[in-house]
Amino acid sequence: MAATTSSNLANRLDSIIGAGRVRAPIGNEARAADTIVEPASVEEICEIVRMCEADRIALTPMGAARSLAGIRRSPVALGISMAQLARIVAYEPDDMTIVAESGITVGKLNAAMAGARQRLPVDPCGPGMRTLGSLIGAAHSGPLRLSEGTSRDLLIGVRFVGHGGNLVHGGGRVVKNVAGYDLMKLMGGAFGTLGIVTEATFKVRPIPCDYCLTVVPYARAADAFAAACILNDALPLSNLDILSPALAAGFNSTSQFLLLAGFSGSPLEVGDQAERIRDLVDARGEILDGDRALSSYELLRDIDFHSAPLAAQIAVPPASLTRVLETCGNDIEFRAHAGSGVAQIILAGEHSAEALAKTIARWREVARSVRGNLRLIAAAPAIRDSLEFFDTPNAGALALMRRLKAAFDPVGIFNPGCFVGGI
Amino acid sequence: MSAIDRKLLDELGEIIGAGGIVSRATELKVYECDGWTVEKRAPDVLILPRSTAQLSAVLAALHRRGIAFVPRGAGTGLSGGCLSLNAPAMICTSKMNRILEIDFDNRRVEAESGVVNLHVTNAVKSRGYFYAPDPSSQVACTIGGNIAENSGGPHTLKYGVTTNHVLALEVVLPDGEVVELGGPAEERCGYDLVGAVVGAEGTAGIVTRATLKLMREPENHRTILAAFPDADTATRAVSMIIASGIVPAALEMMDQLIIRAVEEAFNVGLPLDAGAVLIIELEGLEAGLTSYADEVAKTASLAGASSVRLARDEAERALLWKARKRAFGAVGRLAPNYATQDGVVPRTCLPRILRVIADVSRRYELRIGNVFHAGDGNLHPIILYDEREPDQVRRAIDAGREILKACIEMGGSLTGEHGIGVEKIGEMPLMFSPDDLRVMTELRHVFDPMERSNPGKVIPQPGACVEVAAPRRQAPI
Repeated sequence: MAATTSSNLANRLDSIIGAGRVRAPIGNEARAADTIVEPASVEEICEIVRMCEADRIALTPMGAARSLAGIRRSPVALGISMAQLARIVAYEPDDMTIVAESGITVGKLNAAMAGARQRLPVDPCGPGMRTLGSLIGAAHSGPLRLSEGTSRDLLIGVRFVGHGGNLVHGGGRVVKNVAGYDLMKLMGGAFGTLGIVTEATFKVRPIPCDYCLTVVPYARAADAFAAACILNDALPLSNLDILSPALAAGFNSTSQFLLLAGFSGSPLEVGDQAERIRDLVDARGEILDGDRALSSYELLRDIDFHSAPLAAQIAVPPASLTRVLETCGNDIEFRAHAGSGVAQIILAGEHSAEALAKTIARWREVARSVRGNLRLIAAAPAIRDSLEFFDTPNAGALALMRRLKAAFDPVGIFNPGCFVGGI
Repeated sequence: MSAIDRKLLDELGEIIGAGGIVSRATELKVYECDGWTVEKRAPDVLILPRSTAQLSAVLAALHRRGIAFVPRGAGTGLSGGCLSLNAPAMICTSKMNRILEIDFDNRRVEAESGVVNLHVTNAVKSRGYFYAPDPSSQVACTIGGNIAENSGGPHTLKYGVTTNHVLALEVVLPDGEVVELGGPAEERCGYDLVGAVVGAEGTAGIVTRATLKLMREPENHRTILAAFPDADTATRAVSMIIASGIVPAALEMMDQLIIRAVEEAFNVGLPLDAGAVLIIELEGLEAGLTSYADEVAKTASLAGASSVRLARDEAERALLWKARKRAFGAVGRLAPNYATQDGVVPRTCLPRILRVIADVSRRYELRIGNVFHAGDGNLHPIILYDEREPDQVRRAIDAGREILKACIEMGGSLTGEHGIGVEKIGEMPLMFSPDDLRVMTELRHVFDPMERSNPGKVIPQPGACVEVAAPRRQAPI
């Protein structure tokens, strides 16, 4: 039955966009969609959306499908791969803005700006695979969020295909702009549930001259967090992260918690900060510079939580993070963005589905106790039926969200059923 | 005929006490406009609640009667955002002005929406923190108004605008329901409704409380004043500074007209013979600042600066900023009235747009001064006119529109920080397609299905000519 439906769908898509660009899912994609189409233009996406609305076919936009594979319980009928829409539309270094199609990866985008010594400073795991669509839709971020913010802060314009197959745009190409409602914010973290982002405009930043990374081991997490707090108060750090022992194993073999504090700037600034950091952490640890600093930072950035059997991101007021992670239990491993109050956590060892559900509920309760929140990043297929991927917002906010979804997706085809409150 | 009858006034009086209601025409006149003085219309009643509960009850009472309302903070907006338009009631948050909690450990402040912008920084600066958005009106404007307009200020070049600094909101929806959006954590749960409400210009209900992020004061500053023979050279210097990889905390420009007005008013020591000046502020670690300042000075000279001066001390720095932030006030000495525009162009188009503005000034026979956020490409041409001359009023409006049109043609925006309000609503179709505007209307309806919160703002009615649709009167002639 499903096969027949897929093949019917494939035939109809062929007639819209021509043969050869409809295919079976590969790898992660299979968890997100039964059939994959690779449109080569925005007009084709508009047509596909119209067809899917008419026939009530659920679809989802996708890049490498890693975020979606983590959160969908069952695949939707149609995955719209953005792989063919991956061009840079406009880049003017002196304006410090870049416009690109959403299928381009963060890595490629940054490679195109490297000559001008600029970058999009949002640093999710695996930028070579992470598309702009995924960066926006799944609200990915990385260690640099401390100093550079997230895609929420840097996204200044967006185009998306919404209901009716209409191409809609919000924002623009200038760094400051309050004309009209901020549609960029709606697309951020919406997991493709309100439309398909086809193009994004970002503010970009200069790449600092020098980057150094302080690496300090601690026997106790609390000590690492206390040191982080002192450093964050004293210096404008680029990143400030703490790794639990198992995740820190890639950096050294001390089996301890590791504090990783990055700082950057001109040689003078970097020299000054290095000196002050040595004082602040009592000359413990090591300060890496040059390529060693960069490769360690990349190791930190690229810790992959998507392939863990159970991974979650917890966000709380920054000062609560130590206590929250402690309360989550001693069977977790984590990467904590210490100054931001955001951490990714995984549960070590083998557990039954029932135990996992209880664990997630407990983590959630801990986050909620300090008015924070938690969302799952990944869960093995065998256990995901029993898990809620997102927290449920308060009733008033959820009612507004449902109204928003109904307004933007009245037929209910855009990545349905996997977002907050079953949206 | 007004929808505000005795019975409603009594009911409102019961909710918030007689002291919180203003209904005498003479007293209401103060509220007939904001900083956009071209159009004026006083509300029929002004309501000043002291709490969320009161405000909620007021909106519920209005909702039951189908009465629309205009939210207002301090009325310092520049686009007519709180012009009383098709809305008999005005609700002013100025009595909801308590800072509720300062949480230094988490760098958060929770404040009622009527708190004055600068009061937030004043409350935290002794501990080395500040609230980053710093509009020129920050001594008066409120956090609620900043949220409505997504306000900026000179230092947004480095720190971003209001939306980058708001984590959570308490909003009273137009039917009186109170909702909590966002939270004190940096990541959100579900759609980013905080992001939708910030910048909605009061069309999504009334914000009553906000959780704001605090920033750590930088270790030190360098403030540089560079004088140029003309505006063209100054704007080219802007691009060269940015291209050098240095991102100043602020990069502001004033042209000759403004320099003279400011000098006359404040006697700051600006070079009166300069065609334009740039105020360039660098901040960060002391260790790096001197070399950055040297580089900026060198770049400015290379670009053609006739003089470059470094503020010697905090007093001189404060004086320069006072001059910059009060430039609008100083302009008041030059003409009976002025209208400030707020277009944005890509930075690299600054020289071009300034030539357009000079040309518009000649053709419309109106003096136009420029004082603006050059680093952001955010222009503030100040068009001088005399409201007693109807022809001048008309020319001022047309000149402003022509400048905005040119901004859009260069890939820019109608407004960088002042909002659409009523002023630029007619120009929205220049920037947005009917589909864009329809989707924005759908978003508005999520919060305000009956369009009772600040009606007639931001989104033009489809098919309607804005000027005709709005029963508003122009400034007295």
